[in-house]
Amino acid sequence: MKRLVIAFLLLLFALCQTSYTHAAAVKKISSGKIFIDTTKVELKKFNAKALDKFRTDKNFNYNGEAVGTPSLWDRFWKWVGQLISGLFKDIPFSGTILKYLALALAIAGLVFIILKSLGLDPIQLWRPNAKKTDVPYSESLENIHEIDFDAEIEKAVSQHNFRLAVRLLYLKCLKQLSDKNLINWQINKTNETYLYELTDPTQKQTFKLLTHQFEYVWYGNFAINGEAFTSINLLFQNFKKQLP
Amino acid sequence: MEGEIFEQRTDLSKLNNAVEQIKATLAKIIVGQQDSIDLLIAGILADGHILIEGVPGVAKTLTAKLLAKSIDAQYSRIQFTPDLMPSDILGTSVFNPKTTEFEFKHGPIFGNIILIDEINRAPAKTQSALFEVMEERQLTMDGKTYKMQEPFTVLATQNPVEHEGTYRLPEAQLDRFLFKIEVQYPSLDEEIAIITQQHQQKTTDQLKEITPVLSGADIVSLRRQVLSLHVEDKLLVYVAKLIHESRNNKSLFLGGSPRASLAIVNASKAIAAIKGRDFVTPDDIIHVAAPVLRHRIMLTPDKEMEGVTPDDVIAQLVQKIEIPR
Repeated sequence: MKRLVIAFLLLLFALCQTSYTHAAAVKKISSGKIFIDTTKVELKKFNAKALDKFRTDKNFNYNGEAVGTPSLWDRFWKWVGQLISGLFKDIPFSGTILKYLALALAIAGLVFIILKSLGLDPIQLWRPNAKKTDVPYSESLENIHEIDFDAEIEKAVSQHNFRLAVRLLYLKCLKQLSDKNLINWQINKTNETYLYELTDPTQKQTFKLLTHQFEYVWYGNFAINGEAFTSINLLFQNFKKQLP
Repeated sequence: MEGEIFEQRTDLSKLNNAVEQIKATLAKIIVGQQDSIDLLIAGILADGHILIEGVPGVAKTLTAKLLAKSIDAQYSRIQFTPDLMPSDILGTSVFNPKTTEFEFKHGPIFGNIILIDEINRAPAKTQSALFEVMEERQLTMDGKTYKMQEPFTVLATQNPVEHEGTYRLPEAQLDRFLFKIEVQYPSLDEEIAIITQQHQQKTTDQLKEITPVLSGADIVSLRRQVLSLHVEDKLLVYVAKLIHESRNNKSLFLGGSPRASLAIVNASKAIAAIKGRDFVTPDDIIHVAAPVLRHRIMLTPDKEMEGVTPDDVIAQLVQKIEIPR
Protein backbone atom coordinates (compact mmCIF):
# COMPACT_ATOMS: atom_id res chain seq x y z
CA MET A 1 0.00 0.00 0.00
CA LYS A 2 2.85 2.29 0.92
CA ARG A 3 4.51 1.66 -2.41
CA LEU A 4 1.34 2.50 -4.27
CA VAL A 5 1.06 5.86 -2.51
CA ILE A 6 4.70 6.72 -3.37
CA ALA A 7 4.12 5.79 -7.00
CA PHE A 8 0.97 7.93 -7.18
CA LEU A 9 2.79 10.93 -5.72
CA LEU A 10 5.68 10.61 -8.19
CA LEU A 11 3.27 10.42 -11.13
CA LEU A 12 1.42 13.53 -9.88
CA PHE A 13 4.69 15.45 -9.58
CA ALA A 14 5.74 14.58 -13.10
CA LEU A 15 2.41 15.73 -14.55
CA CYS A 16 2.60 19.05 -12.70
CA GLN A 17 6.17 19.68 -13.96
CA THR A 18 5.20 19.05 -17.64
CA SER A 19 2.21 21.45 -17.38
CA TYR A 20 4.45 24.18 -15.95
CA THR A 21 7.12 23.96 -18.72
CA HIS A 22 4.54 24.07 -21.47
CA ALA A 23 2.85 27.13 -19.92
CA ALA A 24 6.24 29.00 -19.70
CA ALA A 25 7.00 28.42 -23.40
CA VAL A 26 3.64 29.71 -24.55
CA LYS A 27 4.14 32.84 -22.41
CA LYS A 28 7.58 33.56 -24.02
CA ILE A 29 6.29 33.48 -27.67
CA SER A 30 3.27 35.54 -26.82
CA SER A 31 5.57 38.39 -25.60
CA GLY A 32 6.31 39.28 -29.43
CA LYS A 33 10.07 39.90 -29.21
CA ILE A 34 11.93 38.08 -32.04
CA PHE A 35 15.68 38.61 -32.43
CA ILE A 36 17.01 38.68 -36.09
CA ASP A 37 20.48 37.27 -36.84
CA THR A 38 22.33 39.98 -38.84
CA THR A 39 25.70 38.22 -39.17
CA LYS A 40 27.14 38.43 -42.72
CA VAL A 41 27.05 35.08 -44.47
CA GLU A 42 30.12 34.36 -46.56
CA LEU A 43 29.61 31.86 -49.39
CA LYS A 44 32.44 29.36 -49.51
CA LYS A 45 33.53 27.90 -52.86
CA PHE A 46 35.31 24.69 -53.75
CA ASN A 47 38.79 24.84 -55.18
CA ALA A 48 38.18 24.54 -58.94
CA LYS A 49 41.69 23.26 -59.66
CA ALA A 50 41.43 20.55 -57.06
CA LEU A 51 38.05 19.51 -58.46
CA ASP A 52 39.47 19.29 -62.01
CA LYS A 53 42.29 17.18 -60.69
CA PHE A 54 39.84 14.82 -59.05
CA ARG A 55 37.71 14.71 -62.21
CA THR A 56 40.66 13.58 -64.32
CA ASP A 57 41.59 10.92 -61.76
CA LYS A 58 40.34 7.50 -62.96
CA ASN A 59 39.91 6.32 -59.39
CA PHE A 60 37.10 8.84 -58.85
CA ASN A 61 35.35 8.10 -62.13
CA TYR A 62 32.46 6.05 -60.77
CA ASN A 63 30.34 6.20 -63.94
CA GLY A 64 32.94 4.39 -66.00
CA GLU A 65 32.83 7.06 -68.68
CA ALA A 66 36.03 7.85 -70.50
CA VAL A 67 37.82 10.91 -69.19
CA GLY A 68 39.54 13.07 -71.69
CA THR A 69 40.52 11.57 -75.05
CA PRO A 70 39.87 7.80 -75.12
CA SER A 71 42.84 5.59 -75.95
CA LEU A 72 43.01 3.30 -78.98
CA TRP A 73 42.27 0.28 -76.74
CA ASP A 74 39.19 2.03 -75.23
CA ARG A 75 37.96 2.97 -78.68
CA PHE A 76 38.35 -0.64 -79.82
CA TRP A 77 36.22 -1.97 -76.94
CA LYS A 78 33.66 0.77 -77.51
CA TRP A 79 33.45 -0.33 -81.12
CA VAL A 80 33.03 -3.98 -80.06
CA GLY A 81 30.28 -2.95 -77.66
CA GLN A 82 28.49 -1.00 -80.38
CA LEU A 83 28.83 -3.94 -82.74
CA ILE A 84 27.21 -6.34 -80.25
CA SER A 85 24.49 -3.83 -79.41
CA GLY A 86 23.87 -3.45 -83.17
CA LEU A 87 23.34 -7.18 -83.51
CA PHE A 88 20.67 -7.17 -80.80
CA LYS A 89 19.03 -3.82 -81.58
CA ASP A 90 16.02 -5.41 -83.36
CA ILE A 91 15.40 -7.90 -80.61
CA PRO A 92 13.00 -6.76 -77.89
CA PHE A 93 14.53 -6.65 -74.39
CA SER A 94 18.00 -7.08 -75.98
CA GLY A 95 19.52 -4.94 -73.25
CA THR A 96 18.16 -7.25 -70.56
CA ILE A 97 19.26 -10.34 -72.48
CA LEU A 98 22.77 -8.95 -72.84
CA LYS A 99 22.85 -8.06 -69.18
CA TYR A 100 21.85 -11.55 -68.05
CA LEU A 101 24.12 -13.17 -70.60
CA ALA A 102 27.07 -11.23 -69.26
CA LEU A 103 26.05 -12.13 -65.71
CA ALA A 104 25.79 -15.84 -66.58
CA LEU A 105 29.19 -15.75 -68.28
CA ALA A 106 30.72 -14.05 -65.26
CA ILE A 107 29.27 -16.68 -62.89
CA ALA A 108 30.43 -19.50 -65.16
CA GLY A 109 33.90 -17.95 -65.29
CA LEU A 110 34.01 -17.67 -61.51
CA VAL A 111 32.93 -21.31 -61.05
CA PHE A 112 35.55 -22.39 -63.60
CA ILE A 113 38.31 -20.50 -61.75
CA ILE A 114 37.23 -21.96 -58.37
CA LEU A 115 37.16 -25.53 -59.72
CA LYS A 116 40.50 -25.10 -61.44
CA SER A 117 42.05 -23.72 -58.26
CA LEU A 118 40.78 -26.83 -56.42
CA GLY A 119 42.59 -29.01 -58.96
CA LEU A 120 39.37 -30.32 -60.54
CA ASP A 121 38.68 -30.66 -64.22
CA PRO A 122 35.34 -28.86 -64.81
CA ILE A 123 34.75 -30.62 -68.14
CA GLN A 124 35.29 -34.07 -66.60
CA LEU A 125 32.92 -33.23 -63.70
CA TRP A 126 30.00 -32.64 -66.03
CA ARG A 127 30.76 -35.57 -68.27
CA PRO A 128 28.38 -38.45 -67.45
CA ASN A 129 29.90 -41.68 -66.07
CA ALA A 130 33.40 -40.29 -66.12
CA LYS A 131 34.53 -43.25 -64.00
CA LYS A 132 33.34 -45.78 -66.49
CA THR A 133 34.73 -44.08 -69.58
CA ASP A 134 36.21 -46.65 -71.87
CA VAL A 135 39.89 -46.30 -72.45
CA PRO A 136 40.70 -46.03 -76.14
CA TYR A 137 42.84 -48.87 -77.38
CA SER A 138 46.19 -48.17 -78.87
CA GLU A 139 46.29 -49.06 -82.53
CA SER A 140 47.16 -52.63 -83.22
CA LEU A 141 50.24 -53.14 -85.29
CA GLU A 142 48.81 -56.33 -86.63
CA ASN A 143 45.17 -57.10 -87.23
CA ILE A 144 44.46 -60.82 -87.35
CA HIS A 145 41.58 -60.17 -89.73
CA GLU A 146 43.92 -58.69 -92.31
CA ILE A 147 46.65 -61.33 -92.40
CA ASP A 148 46.78 -63.95 -95.14
CA PHE A 149 47.68 -66.72 -92.71
CA ASP A 150 48.10 -69.61 -95.14
CA ALA A 151 50.55 -67.66 -97.28
CA GLU A 152 52.47 -66.30 -94.29
CA ILE A 153 52.73 -69.72 -92.59
CA GLU A 154 53.93 -71.31 -95.80
CA LYS A 155 56.50 -68.56 -96.16
CA ALA A 156 57.73 -68.98 -92.57
CA VAL A 157 58.00 -72.77 -92.91
CA SER A 158 59.91 -72.44 -96.18
CA GLN A 159 62.37 -70.16 -94.35
CA HIS A 160 62.61 -72.70 -91.49
CA ASN A 161 61.30 -69.98 -89.18
CA PHE A 162 59.16 -72.45 -87.21
CA ARG A 163 58.83 -70.12 -84.28
CA LEU A 164 57.07 -67.55 -86.40
CA ALA A 165 55.03 -70.30 -88.05
CA VAL A 166 53.69 -71.46 -84.65
CA ARG A 167 52.81 -67.89 -83.77
CA LEU A 168 50.90 -67.49 -87.04
CA LEU A 169 49.13 -70.79 -86.44
CA TYR A 170 47.98 -69.53 -83.05
CA LEU A 171 46.83 -66.16 -84.41
CA LYS A 172 44.95 -68.01 -87.15
CA CYS A 173 43.29 -70.12 -84.48
CA LEU A 174 42.21 -66.97 -82.61
CA LYS A 175 40.78 -65.58 -85.85
CA GLN A 176 38.80 -68.76 -86.42
CA LEU A 177 37.39 -68.61 -82.88
CA SER A 178 36.57 -64.94 -83.32
CA ASP A 179 34.87 -65.53 -86.70
CA LYS A 180 32.66 -68.14 -85.08
CA ASN A 181 31.89 -65.76 -82.17
CA LEU A 182 33.37 -68.19 -79.67
CA ILE A 183 35.68 -65.49 -78.36
CA ASN A 184 35.61 -61.72 -78.45
CA TRP A 185 38.99 -60.86 -79.90
CA GLN A 186 40.65 -57.74 -78.49
CA ILE A 187 44.28 -56.73 -78.65
CA ASN A 188 44.48 -56.28 -74.87
CA LYS A 189 43.21 -59.74 -73.94
CA THR A 190 45.55 -62.46 -72.82
CA ASN A 191 45.42 -66.10 -73.89
CA GLU A 192 44.03 -67.04 -70.49
CA THR A 193 41.12 -64.64 -71.03
CA TYR A 194 40.23 -66.36 -74.30
CA LEU A 195 40.41 -69.69 -72.53
CA TYR A 196 37.81 -68.49 -70.02
CA GLU A 197 35.59 -67.23 -72.83
CA LEU A 198 35.31 -70.69 -74.39
CA THR A 199 32.34 -72.53 -72.98
CA ASP A 200 32.64 -75.97 -74.61
CA PRO A 201 34.81 -78.20 -72.33
CA THR A 202 36.40 -80.13 -75.24
CA GLN A 203 37.27 -76.97 -77.10
CA LYS A 204 38.57 -75.46 -73.91
CA GLN A 205 40.83 -78.43 -73.22
CA THR A 206 42.29 -78.47 -76.74
CA PHE A 207 42.71 -74.69 -76.83
CA LYS A 208 44.57 -74.90 -73.53
CA LEU A 209 46.97 -77.39 -75.09
CA LEU A 210 47.49 -75.17 -78.15
CA THR A 211 48.04 -72.11 -75.95
CA HIS A 212 50.59 -74.09 -73.98
CA GLN A 213 52.55 -74.93 -77.15
CA PHE A 214 52.38 -71.37 -78.43
CA GLU A 215 53.55 -69.91 -75.12
CA TYR A 216 56.49 -72.29 -74.87
CA VAL A 217 57.61 -71.36 -78.38
CA TRP A 218 56.79 -67.65 -78.41
CA TYR A 219 57.35 -66.50 -74.81
CA GLY A 220 59.57 -69.33 -73.58
CA ASN A 221 61.92 -69.14 -76.55
CA PHE A 222 62.05 -72.94 -76.73
CA ALA A 223 63.91 -74.26 -79.74
CA ILE A 224 61.64 -75.81 -82.35
CA ASN A 225 62.57 -77.91 -85.36
CA GLY A 226 60.58 -79.14 -88.35
CA GLU A 227 59.50 -82.31 -86.57
CA ALA A 228 58.13 -80.46 -83.56
CA PHE A 229 56.40 -78.00 -85.85
CA THR A 230 54.65 -80.84 -87.68
CA SER A 231 53.31 -82.18 -84.36
CA ILE A 232 52.10 -78.75 -83.30
CA ASN A 233 50.58 -78.06 -86.70
CA LEU A 234 48.65 -81.33 -86.43
CA LEU A 235 47.21 -80.24 -83.08
CA PHE A 236 45.99 -77.01 -84.66
CA GLN A 237 44.46 -78.86 -87.63
CA ASN A 238 42.60 -81.17 -85.23
CA PHE A 239 41.30 -78.23 -83.25
CA LYS A 240 39.93 -76.66 -86.43
CA LYS A 241 37.88 -79.81 -86.97
CA GLN A 242 36.33 -79.44 -83.49
CA LEU A 243 34.94 -76.02 -84.32
CA PRO A 244 31.30 -75.80 -85.46
CA MET B 1 52.44 -81.62 -71.89
CA GLU B 2 55.89 -80.12 -71.95
CA GLY B 3 57.59 -83.50 -72.11
CA GLU B 4 55.79 -84.47 -75.28
CA ILE B 5 57.26 -81.80 -77.54
CA PHE B 6 59.70 -79.72 -75.50
CA GLU B 7 62.45 -80.99 -73.26
CA GLN B 8 62.52 -79.62 -69.72
CA ARG B 9 64.98 -76.77 -69.48
CA THR B 10 64.93 -75.84 -65.77
CA ASP B 11 64.29 -78.12 -62.83
CA LEU B 12 61.64 -76.34 -60.80
CA SER B 13 60.58 -79.44 -58.86
CA LYS B 14 62.23 -78.35 -55.59
CA LEU B 15 60.64 -74.93 -55.81
CA ASN B 16 57.21 -76.34 -56.63
CA ASN B 17 57.44 -78.89 -53.81
CA ALA B 18 58.41 -76.16 -51.35
CA VAL B 19 55.52 -73.97 -52.51
CA GLU B 20 53.06 -76.83 -52.10
CA GLN B 21 54.40 -77.56 -48.61
CA ILE B 22 54.11 -73.94 -47.53
CA LYS B 23 50.59 -73.77 -48.91
CA ALA B 24 49.67 -76.96 -47.08
CA THR B 25 51.16 -75.61 -43.84
CA LEU B 26 49.23 -72.36 -44.11
CA ALA B 27 46.03 -74.17 -45.09
CA LYS B 28 46.10 -75.99 -41.74
CA ILE B 29 45.19 -72.74 -40.01
CA ILE B 30 44.25 -70.16 -42.64
CA VAL B 31 40.96 -70.68 -44.43
CA GLY B 32 40.73 -69.35 -47.99
CA GLN B 33 42.91 -66.38 -48.99
CA GLN B 34 44.50 -68.45 -51.76
CA ASP B 35 45.39 -65.43 -53.91
CA SER B 36 46.98 -63.64 -50.96
CA ILE B 37 49.00 -66.72 -50.03
CA ASP B 38 50.19 -67.15 -53.64
CA LEU B 39 51.32 -63.54 -53.70
CA LEU B 40 53.02 -63.86 -50.30
CA ILE B 41 55.04 -66.84 -51.52
CA ALA B 42 55.78 -65.07 -54.81
CA GLY B 43 56.98 -62.05 -52.85
CA ILE B 44 59.34 -64.18 -50.77
CA LEU B 45 60.69 -65.89 -53.91
CA ALA B 46 61.13 -62.55 -55.69
CA ASP B 47 63.21 -61.18 -52.80
CA GLY B 48 60.69 -58.48 -52.01
CA HIS B 49 59.14 -56.89 -48.96
CA ILE B 50 55.40 -57.31 -48.58
CA LEU B 51 52.76 -55.00 -47.17
CA ILE B 52 49.54 -56.70 -46.10
CA GLU B 53 46.55 -54.43 -45.71
CA GLY B 54 43.15 -55.28 -44.33
CA VAL B 55 40.57 -54.33 -41.78
CA PRO B 56 41.11 -55.67 -38.24
CA GLY B 57 40.38 -59.36 -37.76
CA VAL B 58 41.07 -60.82 -41.19
CA ALA B 59 44.19 -62.77 -40.08
CA LYS B 60 46.81 -60.49 -41.61
CA THR B 61 49.27 -60.92 -38.77
CA LEU B 62 48.53 -64.63 -38.39
CA THR B 63 49.18 -65.28 -42.08
CA ALA B 64 52.45 -63.35 -41.95
CA LYS B 65 53.50 -65.18 -38.75
CA LEU B 66 52.68 -68.57 -40.27
CA LEU B 67 54.66 -67.79 -43.38
CA ALA B 68 57.60 -66.65 -41.28
CA LYS B 69 57.37 -69.77 -39.10
CA SER B 70 57.34 -72.04 -42.15
CA ILE B 71 60.83 -70.79 -42.97
CA ASP B 72 63.65 -71.87 -40.70
CA ALA B 73 65.35 -68.48 -40.36
CA GLN B 74 65.83 -65.81 -37.71
CA TYR B 75 62.39 -64.36 -37.11
CA SER B 76 61.86 -61.00 -35.50
CA ARG B 77 58.70 -59.11 -34.70
CA ILE B 78 58.28 -55.38 -34.15
CA GLN B 79 55.00 -53.90 -32.97
CA PHE B 80 54.79 -50.37 -34.35
CA THR B 81 53.38 -47.77 -31.97
CA PRO B 82 53.08 -43.96 -32.18
CA ASP B 83 55.95 -43.45 -29.70
CA LEU B 84 58.39 -45.86 -31.36
CA MET B 85 61.80 -44.33 -32.11
CA PRO B 86 64.17 -45.21 -34.98
CA SER B 87 66.72 -46.54 -32.49
CA ASP B 88 64.08 -48.96 -31.16
CA ILE B 89 64.12 -50.62 -34.57
CA LEU B 90 67.66 -50.25 -35.78
CA GLY B 91 69.62 -50.37 -32.56
CA THR B 92 71.76 -47.87 -30.75
CA SER B 93 75.33 -47.25 -29.60
CA VAL B 94 75.79 -47.89 -25.87
CA PHE B 95 78.79 -46.79 -23.85
CA ASN B 96 80.71 -49.65 -22.28
CA PRO B 97 82.47 -48.40 -19.15
CA LYS B 98 84.80 -51.41 -19.07
CA THR B 99 86.24 -50.82 -22.53
CA THR B 100 85.46 -47.06 -22.47
CA GLU B 101 84.08 -47.45 -25.98
CA PHE B 102 80.69 -47.24 -27.60
CA GLU B 103 79.26 -50.57 -28.67
CA PHE B 104 76.47 -50.99 -31.18
CA LYS B 105 73.50 -52.85 -29.75
CA HIS B 106 71.60 -54.47 -32.62
CA GLY B 107 67.90 -53.68 -32.93
CA PRO B 108 65.18 -56.14 -33.91
CA ILE B 109 65.61 -55.28 -37.59
CA PHE B 110 68.63 -57.58 -37.60
CA GLY B 111 67.00 -60.83 -38.65
CA ASN B 112 65.89 -62.74 -41.72
CA ILE B 113 62.13 -62.51 -41.64
CA ILE B 114 60.96 -59.33 -39.95
CA LEU B 115 57.31 -59.00 -39.12
CA ILE B 116 56.30 -55.39 -38.58
CA ASP B 117 52.82 -55.38 -37.16
CA GLU B 118 50.59 -52.34 -37.70
CA ILE B 119 53.34 -50.48 -39.54
CA ASN B 120 51.21 -47.39 -40.08
CA ARG B 121 50.81 -46.75 -36.36
CA ALA B 122 54.26 -45.11 -36.26
CA PRO B 123 54.85 -41.60 -37.68
CA ALA B 124 57.03 -40.73 -40.68
CA LYS B 125 60.14 -40.14 -38.53
CA THR B 126 60.18 -43.78 -37.47
CA GLN B 127 59.22 -45.03 -40.93
CA SER B 128 62.19 -43.27 -42.49
CA ALA B 129 64.50 -45.41 -40.37
CA LEU B 130 63.55 -48.32 -42.62
CA PHE B 131 64.48 -46.66 -45.93
CA GLU B 132 68.10 -47.76 -46.15
CA VAL B 133 67.66 -51.20 -44.67
CA MET B 134 64.70 -52.10 -46.89
CA GLU B 135 66.26 -50.98 -50.17
CA GLU B 136 69.97 -51.59 -49.69
CA ARG B 137 69.79 -54.41 -47.15
CA GLN B 138 72.29 -52.55 -45.01
CA LEU B 139 72.31 -50.15 -42.13
CA THR B 140 74.65 -47.24 -41.52
CA MET B 141 75.03 -46.16 -37.91
CA ASP B 142 77.73 -43.89 -36.49
CA GLY B 143 79.61 -44.07 -39.77
CA LYS B 144 79.68 -47.86 -39.80
CA THR B 145 77.73 -49.99 -42.27
CA TYR B 146 76.13 -53.25 -41.19
CA LYS B 147 75.05 -55.69 -43.91
CA MET B 148 71.84 -57.63 -43.41
CA GLN B 149 72.04 -61.37 -43.55
CA GLU B 150 70.36 -63.08 -46.51
CA PRO B 151 67.44 -63.70 -46.81
CA PHE B 152 66.13 -60.39 -45.56
CA THR B 153 62.40 -59.83 -45.94
CA VAL B 154 60.06 -57.41 -44.25
CA LEU B 155 56.46 -58.54 -43.86
CA ALA B 156 54.37 -55.61 -42.69
CA THR B 157 50.72 -55.40 -41.82
CA GLN B 158 48.60 -52.29 -41.73
CA ASN B 159 45.03 -51.18 -41.30
CA PRO B 160 43.53 -49.03 -44.04
CA VAL B 161 44.63 -45.41 -43.67
CA GLU B 162 41.08 -44.25 -42.90
CA HIS B 163 41.20 -46.05 -39.54
CA GLU B 164 41.76 -44.34 -36.17
CA GLY B 165 45.33 -43.65 -35.10
CA THR B 166 47.01 -44.48 -38.38
CA TYR B 167 49.40 -42.51 -40.61
CA ARG B 168 49.85 -42.71 -44.36
CA LEU B 169 53.23 -44.28 -45.10
CA PRO B 170 55.71 -42.08 -46.99
CA GLU B 171 55.77 -42.70 -50.76
CA ALA B 172 59.49 -43.51 -50.60
CA GLN B 173 58.75 -46.32 -48.19
CA LEU B 174 55.71 -47.62 -50.04
CA ASP B 175 57.82 -47.87 -53.17
CA ARG B 176 60.16 -50.21 -51.31
CA PHE B 177 57.43 -52.80 -50.86
CA LEU B 178 57.21 -55.26 -53.72
CA PHE B 179 53.54 -56.03 -53.13
CA LYS B 180 50.64 -54.53 -51.31
CA ILE B 181 48.29 -57.41 -50.69
CA GLU B 182 44.75 -56.49 -49.77
CA VAL B 183 43.13 -59.08 -47.52
CA GLN B 184 39.37 -59.12 -47.93
CA TYR B 185 36.65 -60.48 -45.69
CA PRO B 186 36.07 -64.22 -46.09
CA SER B 187 33.06 -65.54 -47.98
CA LEU B 188 30.15 -67.05 -46.05
CA ASP B 189 31.42 -70.61 -46.58
CA GLU B 190 34.92 -69.60 -45.51
CA GLU B 191 33.57 -67.87 -42.42
CA ILE B 192 31.67 -71.03 -41.44
CA ALA B 193 34.83 -73.07 -41.99
CA ILE B 194 36.84 -70.65 -39.80
CA ILE B 195 34.35 -70.93 -36.94
CA THR B 196 34.09 -74.72 -37.24
CA GLN B 197 37.86 -75.12 -37.33
CA GLN B 198 38.32 -72.91 -34.29
CA HIS B 199 35.51 -74.69 -32.44
CA GLN B 200 37.06 -78.12 -33.03
CA GLN B 201 40.57 -77.01 -32.13
CA LYS B 202 42.05 -78.66 -29.05
CA THR B 203 45.15 -76.53 -28.63
CA THR B 204 45.26 -72.78 -28.12
CA ASP B 205 48.69 -72.28 -29.64
CA GLN B 206 48.25 -73.03 -33.32
CA LEU B 207 51.74 -71.91 -34.20
CA LYS B 208 53.26 -74.80 -32.22
CA GLU B 209 51.99 -77.18 -34.88
CA ILE B 210 53.93 -75.39 -37.60
CA THR B 211 57.21 -76.92 -38.65
CA PRO B 212 59.58 -75.12 -41.02
CA VAL B 213 59.62 -76.46 -44.56
CA LEU B 214 62.45 -74.36 -45.93
CA SER B 215 65.70 -73.03 -44.55
CA GLY B 216 67.07 -69.55 -45.11
CA ALA B 217 69.68 -71.01 -47.44
CA ASP B 218 66.95 -72.74 -49.45
CA ILE B 219 65.18 -69.42 -49.89
CA VAL B 220 68.37 -67.79 -51.15
CA SER B 221 68.91 -70.66 -53.60
CA LEU B 222 65.32 -70.56 -54.88
CA ARG B 223 65.53 -66.80 -55.30
CA ARG B 224 68.57 -67.21 -57.55
CA GLN B 225 66.67 -69.75 -59.62
CA VAL B 226 63.69 -67.41 -59.96
CA LEU B 227 65.94 -64.56 -60.97
CA SER B 228 67.40 -66.64 -63.82
CA LEU B 229 64.02 -67.31 -65.49
CA HIS B 230 63.53 -66.24 -69.08
CA VAL B 231 61.64 -63.07 -70.01
CA GLU B 232 61.20 -62.23 -73.69
CA ASP B 233 62.33 -58.79 -74.81
CA LYS B 234 58.84 -57.95 -76.05
CA LEU B 235 57.48 -58.60 -72.57
CA LEU B 236 60.07 -56.28 -71.05
CA VAL B 237 58.88 -53.64 -73.50
CA TYR B 238 55.30 -54.42 -72.48
CA VAL B 239 56.15 -53.80 -68.81
CA ALA B 240 57.94 -50.56 -69.69
CA LYS B 241 54.93 -49.39 -71.71
CA LEU B 242 52.61 -50.20 -68.84
CA ILE B 243 54.63 -48.17 -66.36
CA HIS B 244 55.19 -45.36 -68.85
CA GLU B 245 51.43 -45.19 -69.43
CA SER B 246 50.90 -44.83 -65.68
CA ARG B 247 53.05 -41.70 -65.73
CA ASN B 248 50.97 -40.12 -68.50
CA ASN B 249 47.58 -41.18 -67.23
CA LYS B 250 45.28 -38.25 -66.45
CA SER B 251 43.73 -40.08 -63.51
CA LEU B 252 47.08 -40.31 -61.77
CA PHE B 253 49.00 -37.69 -59.89
CA LEU B 254 51.96 -40.06 -59.43
CA GLY B 255 52.76 -42.94 -61.74
CA GLY B 256 54.97 -45.99 -61.35
CA SER B 257 58.71 -45.63 -60.75
CA PRO B 258 61.48 -47.57 -62.53
CA ARG B 259 61.58 -49.62 -59.33
CA ALA B 260 57.98 -50.59 -60.11
CA SER B 261 59.04 -51.85 -63.57
CA LEU B 262 61.73 -54.02 -61.99
CA ALA B 263 59.29 -55.21 -59.35
CA ILE B 264 56.77 -56.32 -62.00
CA VAL B 265 59.43 -58.28 -63.89
CA ASN B 266 60.79 -59.98 -60.75
CA ALA B 267 57.37 -60.73 -59.35
CA SER B 268 56.09 -62.13 -62.65
CA LYS B 269 59.12 -64.44 -62.72
CA ALA B 270 58.15 -65.75 -59.28
CA ILE B 271 54.54 -66.28 -60.37
CA ALA B 272 55.75 -68.14 -63.49
CA ALA B 273 57.94 -70.36 -61.30
CA ILE B 274 55.04 -71.13 -58.97
CA LYS B 275 53.00 -72.12 -62.03
CA GLY B 276 55.82 -74.46 -63.06
CA ARG B 277 57.15 -72.45 -66.01
CA ASP B 278 60.66 -71.17 -66.50
CA PHE B 279 59.51 -68.23 -68.60
CA VAL B 280 57.12 -65.34 -68.14
CA THR B 281 53.88 -64.82 -70.05
CA PRO B 282 51.70 -61.67 -70.29
CA ASP B 283 49.26 -63.32 -67.88
CA ASP B 284 51.96 -63.41 -65.19
CA ILE B 285 52.64 -59.71 -65.69
CA ILE B 286 48.95 -58.80 -65.48
CA HIS B 287 48.59 -61.04 -62.41
CA VAL B 288 51.16 -58.99 -60.47
CA ALA B 289 50.40 -55.55 -61.95
CA ALA B 290 47.80 -54.58 -59.34
CA PRO B 291 49.66 -55.73 -56.18
CA VAL B 292 52.87 -54.12 -57.45
CA LEU B 293 51.34 -50.82 -58.51
CA ARG B 294 48.38 -50.14 -56.20
CA HIS B 295 50.49 -48.63 -53.40
CA ARG B 296 52.91 -46.86 -55.72
CA ILE B 297 50.49 -44.80 -57.76
CA MET B 298 48.56 -41.78 -56.49
CA LEU B 299 45.20 -40.72 -57.84
CA THR B 300 44.37 -37.12 -58.69
CA PRO B 301 42.05 -35.44 -56.14
CA ASP B 302 39.09 -35.39 -58.56
CA LYS B 303 39.38 -39.13 -59.24
CA GLU B 304 39.55 -39.81 -55.52
CA MET B 305 36.38 -37.76 -55.06
CA GLU B 306 34.69 -39.78 -57.79
CA GLY B 307 35.45 -42.94 -55.83
CA VAL B 308 37.91 -44.37 -58.35
CA THR B 309 40.37 -46.85 -56.80
CA PRO B 310 43.98 -47.50 -57.82
CA ASP B 311 42.92 -50.96 -58.96
CA ASP B 312 40.37 -49.40 -61.36
CA VAL B 313 43.09 -47.28 -62.93
CA ILE B 314 45.51 -50.22 -63.14
CA ALA B 315 42.81 -52.21 -64.97
CA GLN B 316 42.44 -49.31 -67.40
CA LEU B 317 46.20 -49.16 -67.92
CA VAL B 318 46.30 -52.87 -68.71
CA GLN B 319 43.45 -52.43 -71.19
CA LYS B 320 45.32 -49.68 -72.97
CA ILE B 321 48.41 -51.69 -73.84
CA GLU B 322 48.44 -54.27 -76.59
CA ILE B 323 49.43 -57.76 -75.48
CA PRO B 324 52.62 -58.78 -77.31
CA ARG B 325 51.62 -61.84 -79.24
